[in-house]
Amino acid sequence: MKTKFLVSSSPHIGSNLTTKKIMLHVIIALSFPLIAATIIFGLYSLFIVLLAVGASVLGETLYNLIRKRANTISDLSAIVTGLILGMNLPPTVPFYVPIIGGLFAIMVVKMLFGGLGQNFANPAATARIFLTLSWPVQMSKYMSPLDYSGGVKVFISGFTKTYVTSATPLATIKDSIDVGGVSNLNLLDMFLGKIGGSIGEVCSLAIIIAAIYLIITKVIDWKTLVSYVITCAVLALAFYKDGYLYVLPTILSGGILFAGVFMLTDYTTSPRTELGRVIFAIFAGLFTMIIRRFGGMPEGACFSILLANLFVPYIDKIVKPKPFGYVKPKKERKKETNV
Amino acid sequence: MIPTFRHGVKTKGRKEYTENMPFEEYPVGDFVYIPLLQHIGKPATPLVIVGDKVKCGTKIGEADGFISANVHSSVSGEVTGIVDLPCATGLPTTHIVIKNDYKYEEDFLSPIQNPTKDEVLERCKEAGIVGMGGATFPTIVKLMPKTPIKALIINGCECEPYITVDYRLMLEKAAEVLSGIDLVKRALGVNKVYFGIESNKPEAIIKLRDISTDDEIEFCELKTKYPQGGEKQLISAITKEKVPKGGLPSDLGYVVFNVSTVYALYEAVYLGQPLIYRHMTVSGNGVKRAANLRVRIGVQLSDIVEYLGIEENVVKVVLGGPMMGVSLHNFKSTITKGSSSLLLLAEKEIREIEPTPCINCGRCAKACPMFLMPMVTDRAILHGDIEGANNSYAMSCIECGCCAYVCPARRPLVQSQRLAKKLIRKNKLTPA
Repeated sequence: MKTKFLVSSSPHIGSNLTTKKIMLHVIIALSFPLIAATIIFGLYSLFIVLLAVGASVLGETLYNLIRKRANTISDLSAIVTGLILGMNLPPTVPFYVPIIGGLFAIMVVKMLFGGLGQNFANPAATARIFLTLSWPVQMSKYMSPLDYSGGVKVFISGFTKTYVTSATPLATIKDSIDVGGVSNLNLLDMFLGKIGGSIGEVCSLAIIIAAIYLIITKVIDWKTLVSYVITCAVLALAFYKDGYLYVLPTILSGGILFAGVFMLTDYTTSPRTELGRVIFAIFAGLFTMIIRRFGGMPEGACFSILLANLFVPYIDKIVKPKPFGYVKPKKERKKETNV
Repeated sequence: MIPTFRHGVKTKGRKEYTENMPFEEYPVGDFVYIPLLQHIGKPATPLVIVGDKVKCGTKIGEADGFISANVHSSVSGEVTGIVDLPCATGLPTTHIVIKNDYKYEEDFLSPIQNPTKDEVLERCKEAGIVGMGGATFPTIVKLMPKTPIKALIINGCECEPYITVDYRLMLEKAAEVLSGIDLVKRALGVNKVYFGIESNKPEAIIKLRDISTDDEIEFCELKTKYPQGGEKQLISAITKEKVPKGGLPSDLGYVVFNVSTVYALYEAVYLGQPLIYRHMTVSGNGVKRAANLRVRIGVQLSDIVEYLGIEENVVKVVLGGPMMGVSLHNFKSTITKGSSSLLLLAEKEIREIEPTPCINCGRCAKACPMFLMPMVTDRAILHGDIEGANNSYAMSCIECGCCAYVCPARRPLVQSQRLAKKLIRKNKLTPA
């Protein structure tokens, strides 16, 4: 008979879910918009994303080496950060941009604050802002979706710099504020991703499929996503003249859906409670729309996430669930004096 | 909609190992080791010395105070030792060692037919009956509530995986369980009874409904969800009322009794048999023959393991349910009044990997049936912030294990809750 047994605190059984499995679900979900982007923008966009992933993984390995710690890349969170960052970049950026961005996201924003679960700011969002401020021209150069009518050769046009640059629907919306009307935007094209924009954000259809996948696998909470999108929609109604014309273009353009599905739902940088996460999402929506409508830049999703991240400790302080059978302390005191 | 409580987890039931197996009598061996502390409260005072002859049911330990319980010999024979041995939790406890003479002479109390309230109370105390759902709180205390009681709630949920004791009792001893309920009704002077049973035991519900002649017993089918059998969760599922924080069910006018306890009370009153048997499940992938056993209290676990056989793949031994039970490092401890199951678990059944950092996913808070924030307590107590742990209502924790069950980072959240509770008590903080 065996004489050595494991001894530990209860419970002795548990669900099969691990941090790694959660990350794997997110990676699977991210692959939908990535595949769409590769078709829309060509092989170079996939190359950029892979560079960002490689840099993120390298960054985490390097940091752990420097700090003489066990490597933590096997939890897959660096891959997720790299994917999200890479898909936040325009499909035309030079190769060094995703590399520097990946290293910055992991080493500065994540690892310096203590690594997985400890960072207060979203690494991908912060890195994207860092890159936008460092290379403003390269970070705002967007290309038109590939036109395959002339053959599949265009698939590698990103490498040969033979693509056609284009404005994004966001810029169109921004420019139309004083003129009024966004009728020249094709909503179906926007839904399918036949528009200019960042790699991951263009194909709304793929993002919605990813969202459904993540909601079914219970990785993300639909309430966060829905409250963010609704806040943006309501503010689009309020902020623009003939606002109803702007609601769908606002949601289908830029990073609102992508940020709502993949970035706002980051566990570490969002509040702990369901209610807190809804408040957080509303804040983010508010900032997104203020930046889009009144700010100097056409896009505000990443900035809004970073701003909302700063509110997280306060939201967590205010939104504190009451335990089972909680009685207001006032009543308790009354009882004591009566007795 | 089947009624239930908020939050909790869906566990793998794993009751199929033993749910169709009738109770079998375990043939007791040469010695029994009966601890004097098998309940919450003070240990009983020994009434025998080495060399004394005892019979089945002879009182060998006298309750010390109100919150304590009598202890009886489970075999006939001779007291060969009064020694300190570690009990399942590892703490040394006085055990009375009795050498079995295999005569099984009985020294029972006199059976009572149609007992009065006082007779039930007296018998409950004399027979050493404690709550057999796991908490082992002396039953007599529950039968003498300080506040008026409006209803009795019977707990037939058995929400812990693997265990099939209450289920088998409800099937095999349905009539006895029902007359036990009648005894509790008399003792408490209440009419209304709610009988909560999880929906995964339809046969038990049908059987009990069939033979019940008492219209005041309302059988409530409840959702199969852990911890449905937690006292506060059960009351909330059946009555939609919440026991106030830090309070007891009696604050709302309810008393909760487990099926096994009710059955033990039946045996004590109608058969005169003190609490000397424990019905238990021996299960898990590592046991050669899983079984539901009727075991005499004081039997060493190693004897039971030898009787049923152990596989080579056992990596963890748990006394009690897999969610709240204690893991053991050997088979030296003995069966007590609260041992509802012995589990021999294989690698694939348990979850034992290194904890990783908390990713703040919030699953623990969503699972907690007490609506606590285990991740906050965990972080606070690991930083030595006892006040912070107290402010996250650590004292309300019922240690059910839901938080750690769902934690994808495998953090030992129950352990940190326990540590927090201990340190809050030690520092004499007022529970938040």
